[in-house]
Amino acid sequence: MKETPLSNCERDFLLKAIEEKKRLDGRQTYDYRTIKVTFGTDYGCCFVDLGKTRVMAQVSCEIVAPKESRPNEGIVFFNIELSPMASPTFEQGRQSELSVKLNRQLERCLRNSKCIDTESLCVVSGEKVWQIRVDVHVLNHDGNLMDASSIAAITALCHFRRPDVSTQGDEITVYSPEERDPIPLSVYHMPICVSFSFFQQGTYLLVDPCEREERVMDGLLMIAMNKHREICSIQSSGGIMLLKEQVMRCSKIASVKVSEITELVGKALENDRKARKAGEKCGFAESLPQERITALKTDKTPVEAMDVTEKVDDIIQKAEVPPLSVPSPSLPVPGVGQVGQNTWGLDEEEEEEEEGEEDRDSSGEEEEKGTKTQKEKDKDEVVELSDSEEEEVVILHPDT
Amino acid sequence: MEACSISNLKLREFGCEQSLLSRPDGSASFIQGDTSVCAGVYGPAEVKVSKEIYDRATLEVLIQPKVGLAGVRERSQEQCVRETCEASLLLSLHPRSSLTLVLQVIHDDGSLLSCFLNAACMALMDAGLPMSCLFCGVTCAISADGQIVTDPTAAQEKESRALMTFAIDSTERNILMSSTKGSFSVHELQQCIVVSQKASEKMFQFYRDSVKRRYSKYL
Amino acid sequence: MFSALQDRVGQILLPGDEFCSDTDDTISLSEPVKSEKLVCGPGLRRSGARLLVCKSGVLRHKPPNVFWIDCQQRRYVPARGETVIGIVTAKSGDVFKVDVGGSEQASLSYLAFEGATKRNRPNVQVGDLLFAQFIVANKDMEPELACIDSSGRASGMGVFGGGGLLFRVSLGLVRRLLAPNSDVRSDLEQLFPCELVVGLNGRVWVKAASIQQTLIVANLLQSSDAMTATQRRQLFAKVQQGAL
Repeated sequence: MKETPLSNCERDFLLKAIEEKKRLDGRQTYDYRTIKVTFGTDYGCCFVDLGKTRVMAQVSCEIVAPKESRPNEGIVFFNIELSPMASPTFEQGRQSELSVKLNRQLERCLRNSKCIDTESLCVVSGEKVWQIRVDVHVLNHDGNLMDASSIAAITALCHFRRPDVSTQGDEITVYSPEERDPIPLSVYHMPICVSFSFFQQGTYLLVDPCEREERVMDGLLMIAMNKHREICSIQSSGGIMLLKEQVMRCSKIASVKVSEITELVGKALENDRKARKAGEKCGFAESLPQERITALKTDKTPVEAMDVTEKVDDIIQKAEVPPLSVPSPSLPVPGVGQVGQNTWGLDEEEEEEEEGEEDRDSSGEEEEKGTKTQKEKDKDEVVELSDSEEEEVVILHPDT
Repeated sequence: MEACSISNLKLREFGCEQSLLSRPDGSASFIQGDTSVCAGVYGPAEVKVSKEIYDRATLEVLIQPKVGLAGVRERSQEQCVRETCEASLLLSLHPRSSLTLVLQVIHDDGSLLSCFLNAACMALMDAGLPMSCLFCGVTCAISADGQIVTDPTAAQEKESRALMTFAIDSTERNILMSSTKGSFSVHELQQCIVVSQKASEKMFQFYRDSVKRRYSKYL
Repeated sequence: MFSALQDRVGQILLPGDEFCSDTDDTISLSEPVKSEKLVCGPGLRRSGARLLVCKSGVLRHKPPNVFWIDCQQRRYVPARGETVIGIVTAKSGDVFKVDVGGSEQASLSYLAFEGATKRNRPNVQVGDLLFAQFIVANKDMEPELACIDSSGRASGMGVFGGGGLLFRVSLGLVRRLLAPNSDVRSDLEQLFPCELVVGLNGRVWVKAASIQQTLIVANLLQSSDAMTATQRRQLFAKVQQGAL
């Protein structure tokens, strides 16, 4: 599906507004949209809402053979899935330029910064290690997918618990969560990506661009940083020339933003931990906003099964047992057994629908035809759909 | 004749939110107990020439699993949902256009297919697509000791001897689609159908209540 | 059927609800019986003797006999005679291709402008905004737009959009804005002067004295979609006092 084209008028207005330091949703230049972090019922499931942008991350694990070059390190795998739900332009199963770019950036931000202790994921050196898989699903695209994805991925990794394992000789036992408490991953630090978009050849700069701002921007700078102000990755795209001062300024802004976001994520994780400890219900079902009119929830409801048995007996009794008609086997040539008529033969007569049932006597066939015509008649009578939106229904009463 | 005992039938708590995403033309998330699904609909929109049908809209249903890529299981579920939607939507009103329904698994704790169906129906309704009737999904499990369980959890599904999901329409309470697993007698099947039809009443009442709530500011 | 429909005006209806023509009416011998005539708008369909609801929403009635379902849809479906805001996407030969948000791009002849002739072509660029009217719109044909009315006058239609902002709202809000004596519009009028172009395809274009004011109007309209009249008035009053 094609994207709605951006009109010249929108482009001009956006650029003019940016010159005046105004943004579409009333934010200031360096403001993020509201960030909301929620968790699913599973460990390692995290939703991030960044304004209207919404992503979901799910972490999963399995035991695999390690890479030959690194026999005692676990494997971390990232995948950002641009679901067709997020935007009409995203297609399923096709690697678009955007998805390659996002995946690459997420890998650089989280894997290459060594924020996860991969050595602790080793079960048997050279033979078995944990593979941690992070799936990020984009559910709604309203710009700045990278920041939302990076927050979701790192939060999900922090939230995740893998099953405990023990090795005794050659035997490896994986314990279910009931047997032994699952173990969290050891996360050294939390890199978070902050995006800056540039307009008018780098004259103007905005933090956290929304979708329409992304469509008119000239260039993008993504800085991944942790709260210790260590830069984990930095990427500029779009082909704009930036001055050293601009990059420095961006990294300063990024450090402020990252510490704010890290604090938020920390609080969210803490809340969830408390809720789980207290045995409260947690997860997506609980995050359903009850105060909105678009949402409604009911409690457990019983289903009355008063007259079910009677009804069923009634139906069964009414339903006739279908006649068990098995055509008798025939022997067309010695050594070949055949049941029913072979329909692969050449057309000798006109094709009739039910060829297999020869056994039926002619009266039955007539009856069948009778009902068929009846059905056709019925078909003719029903539903009449004309193409006009407005329609007139005229009910005629007999004149007196 | 073999019959199941039916007593203490329950649906887990269920909930729904419509229009929660800004991009799709219609969206909904549906929750049954811990099972939850998010649905988004685009359409009627431009259709690819290769998929164009001259007298009706092309409906595409995509199911996104939570982990990894869609496989055979998702394909078969997609087909179940698509056929149900095709039966209830008036596709002939929008020829040569495309409708895309995307379903994202949020959490699977049993009765996933019925949750797909319910989320799909709410999203289609939110998109304002013309439908001849509504539909809902109900899952029934028959446990090893012959008890019918409606809206089973993942654990109950695992222990069950048979599992059936029905899509039921809102006008005649007829079966639009059925998907079954395991072995059961004809009598048990009929019992499950009647039970599902009973349960569907609750669902349709819920649909009505949530739409009423949604339009409460428009009256 | 008329009375059955009238009873449920203002109520929420769901797809699958239906009305049957009442056949049990006794034939009155004293007065002549008039044939009952109904006009069904969007969301209602005739199927044999029954009237089916096919969209969820509120049943509305306009005297004497027009009924329709008011629903909060976001995707536009072209209808003949409706005026929309389109974005020119291509010039091909003697037609422009215009995106109106429907399932297909609409075509617009370059002759369908006021005063346009073969020699004197209108100045339309790709990416321009157009306010135009559907002259052909049905499900089986490519929709066609025109920027002139039946008498050849522009009457407000044509290329526009210098300096304003285009944004999307729900189709329901657009219809409320365009309704005669619209309360949203009158609330807005009291705020500050602005130019407003409203297309029935859910696109609204605003231009006020400054960029700030334009943004305020746009955000107010977008948020008033999900508000009751009192909530909206409170918000508008706040804005007037200078909260934004």
